[in-house]
Amino acid sequence: MSRRGSRVSTGDEEIELNMTPMLDVVFILLIFFIVTSVFIKEPGVTINRPDAITEEDRNPSMLIGVSSDNEIWVNRRVYEMVQLRGVIEQLLQENPKGRAMIQGDEGAEIGTILDIQDLLIQMDVEVIISTLQD
Amino acid sequence: MRRRSTHHDDQAEVNMTPMLDIVFILLIFFIVTATFLSEEGIDMRPPPPSDEPPSEDQNEVILVQIDHENNIFVNQVRTDVDRVLSAVNRFRAEAANSAVLVEVQDEASHGIVVQIWDEMSANGVPVSLQRSDGNES
Repeated sequence: MSRRGSRVSTGDEEIELNMTPMLDVVFILLIFFIVTSVFIKEPGVTINRPDAITEEDRNPSMLIGVSSDNEIWVNRRVYEMVQLRGVIEQLLQENPKGRAMIQGDEGAEIGTILDIQDLLIQMDVEVIISTLQD
Repeated sequence: MRRRSTHHDDQAEVNMTPMLDIVFILLIFFIVTATFLSEEGIDMRPPPPSDEPPSEDQNEVILVQIDHENNIFVNQVRTDVDRVLSAVNRFRAEAANSAVLVEVQDEASHGIVVQIWDEMSANGVPVSLQRSDGNES
């Protein structure tokens, strides 16, 4: 280090790039990505979602999976219907303006999905039903 | 010029390369994990309840029922999944602008309900969903 600075690399020092502007840019990018990153918790179960053509693009922050045997999955764990309110409240604390998406399996019972939807509407959370592009 | 006057500064200059390495690694991490998740979905929420009484000129409602064995009835007539749309269109030919009310039993499968909902809204038929009490049919 000290050797480099003093004698040998006098020529190098002249060509050395000024990295400060690049560092500024990199920091701004870094802050942008930190701020915009939302860590979504996947339901953690394979769900065969129904196809649809009228779907809209949304960016949900909360995913609730309903498997074909009517298990409710949030963040890689199975929950009962009665526990779900607490779980959603917890997720809402992390992201108060969060939108929810219900990923229901084609074979799941519509009753379970409507129960979850009713619960989310009750809690004033925007909710949509996930589909696949046809 | 620079070399002579700023010789002492050179010695004191902080070496930024390791920090830059770390910042780059962080940057790459956040770029990779940034899932600009934009999933697709349909909005099946019921319309918000309105205080106004339903208007007089409200059109007829076509009732599509799905029972616990996924049998589909359009105005009490049993139909196939693929023929719901044509059945609905037949009723709409008589009474244009009539809306579709999908009445489901809790045990009906999600896939069929979504398919019917999607078919209806793709063809501009106003559709709403209602749960049946389960005592019927």
